[in-house]
Amino acid sequence: MADLPVAPGPLAVGLSAALQRAGLPVTADRAARLARALRLVPPVDRDSLYWTARVTLVPTRAQLPLFDAVFSAVFDGRLDPADSRGDDAAPPAVGSEPRTRPVPPDRRRSDPATSAPDDGPRAGSPGAGDADGAERETVLAVASAQERLGTTAFAELEPGELAEVRDLVRRLVLATPQRLSRRSRPGQGRRIDVRRTVAAAQRRGGDVERLVFAERRPRARRLVLLCDVSGSMQPYSRVFLTLLQGAVADASAEAFVFATGVTRLTRQLAGRDVDAALARAAAVCTGWSGGTRLAASIEEFLAVFGRRGMARGAVVVVLSDGWATDPPEEVAAAMARLRRLAHRIVWVNPRAAAPGFAPRVGGMAAALPFCDAFVSGHSLAALQEVVAAVRAG
Amino acid sequence: MPPSDPGSGAGTGERDDDVAQLLPDIAALAAGLDAVDYLTDLGLATALFLAVRLRQPLLLEGEPGVGKTAAAQALARLLQTPLFRLQCYEGIDAAEALYEWDHPRQLLAVRLAEARHAEVAEADLYGPQYLLRRPLLAAIAHPGPRPAVLLLDEIDRADAEFEAFTFQALAEAAVSIPELGTVRATHPPVVVLTSNRTRDLHDALTRRCLYHWIDHPAPERVAEIVRRRVPGSDEPLVHDATAAIGRLRALDLVKPPGIAEAIDWVTALSLLGVRRLDPAAVAATWGAVLKNRDDLDVAADRGAAWLAGAGRG
Repeated sequence: MADLPVAPGPLAVGLSAALQRAGLPVTADRAARLARALRLVPPVDRDSLYWTARVTLVPTRAQLPLFDAVFSAVFDGRLDPADSRGDDAAPPAVGSEPRTRPVPPDRRRSDPATSAPDDGPRAGSPGAGDADGAERETVLAVASAQERLGTTAFAELEPGELAEVRDLVRRLVLATPQRLSRRSRPGQGRRIDVRRTVAAAQRRGGDVERLVFAERRPRARRLVLLCDVSGSMQPYSRVFLTLLQGAVADASAEAFVFATGVTRLTRQLAGRDVDAALARAAAVCTGWSGGTRLAASIEEFLAVFGRRGMARGAVVVVLSDGWATDPPEEVAAAMARLRRLAHRIVWVNPRAAAPGFAPRVGGMAAALPFCDAFVSGHSLAALQEVVAAVRAG
Repeated sequence: MPPSDPGSGAGTGERDDDVAQLLPDIAALAAGLDAVDYLTDLGLATALFLAVRLRQPLLLEGEPGVGKTAAAQALARLLQTPLFRLQCYEGIDAAEALYEWDHPRQLLAVRLAEARHAEVAEADLYGPQYLLRRPLLAAIAHPGPRPAVLLLDEIDRADAEFEAFTFQALAEAAVSIPELGTVRATHPPVVVLTSNRTRDLHDALTRRCLYHWIDHPAPERVAEIVRRRVPGSDEPLVHDATAAIGRLRALDLVKPPGIAEAIDWVTALSLLGVRRLDPAAVAATWGAVLKNRDDLDVAADRGAAWLAGAGRG
């Protein structure tokens, strides 16, 4: 590729089209940006073109492997870029979203300034203020459900009943306990709110008659859910995924699933369309069976997300039966690390309700000392305990 | 020239001839950054060059300690313009990014006017002299001739509302202050954002940004950076220390030491008068490299001698 006998425009469009065919979402304005960049940086060799294209076209690290594959296919002439759909050789990066569906219309807004974030419906979701009302509604909904639905373990439900349960699970609003934020509001605090004091004085002709105090506004703590989707959790995963979806949509939670590794599901579960969200999530967590690498998964979660701030001061809910394949001391070490970051750890173990259950299994026994609450969550009635455990503290 | 989208700011490379002369191509930028002791590779140089010349925000991601913040600082030194840095955190609000009124001074002015029996109009109280410019406004109001550099550090820590608001202000390159009117940028700032990926950023933001992921550089490059940043450090010592850091990064650590730790460590060793890395020196300076108890245990298990490179061929 000594020289490119191509004008910037066609080159940009051609490369963008190749990426688009391979499943990388390249918008028209990005292609235009690449064309502008190529005017500034003439593509004298492969490397300079590579970096110019990568910096302008790829918005996130997760898409880099695919971009590299397509780029090398186009410019090293190894294969037709249309065949590099979903480069399987590259390990799926955390958070990567294989785009196999058409872009939903709400992403095609022409005016980004007015477009709402599409990571979960913030507007209209019950805030912390009316959580009590929402909770009452939930209790009523559960009370009106059939008795059988309330207490039968999810593992024994019929498909139709499962749908009904899912509907109820979605309405369990997980509201985390509050912490003080940096922002303030007028109230009974100890700090003087100078701005409001001066404003009040101005209205009275410049005399400070009344000191307005500021108090720190409470904010809900972050909620992080880690759901075990290994083989032994099969009967519960579908319902728990629904719980995850509800938490992401209504409580802006972060959701992860794990078996032998950790996958972040927040983006897949976000959005108003529950079934589409669950379908996207199910596509990610199917075909996993065998044991859970509990310690390794928690470690990976901490290394990639938790220590950067996601787990700090958060309420972390682990949904797992604790049947770990890693040694108990490793589970304990990982849990200890999580303990030092999180505000509360709630462990939901659907097998805890079985008669004669005692958390004697290696992994569970090792993890238990680090949990603030241990609930079963194996049935709808038990899910109430989960909500209560999250709310506490 | 395709019509630029409204999000790309008011200025393009064409308007700042001065900058275009200073940075005609990527090589000039790389050489310029080299002159202010910041080493880039082609990827980062391309990203920074496009950020300056296309005047589009650049989102930098990478492990802690690979030099994301340093890149923005070096860019400001190269352009010889001020760097306005906004460190984001959970709960940061618009006032801390844009402007606040200096209430105590306003109050004082009212009192002084009363004492002198002078009239004080409200318009006087809300003049520019009582305005505290925060980084975003300061960068937009920067008079030029070259654009300021605005660094929004760890934008992922701020909440989504703040992110959206910030981006609105940057896209319009203007800030409206009810009492004063609208401040428009004559020279839109060069914007660098950094993120540690504690949450996904909005599509609206990533759509408008150039993006670059900074990888941890190879040991030779780390050695070169350390030599630049620690004047008077011995060549063999720098070589030993960066090799040791490479060995540490191969272990499964909670916080693998980055470039910042390499610089700290060599500084500490030089201060102690160490000429070659030996087990005793390592044992005395663990704390400059490993900043986590579990990591110390892991490394101590391998032993100071292993880290110092004993038994090297």
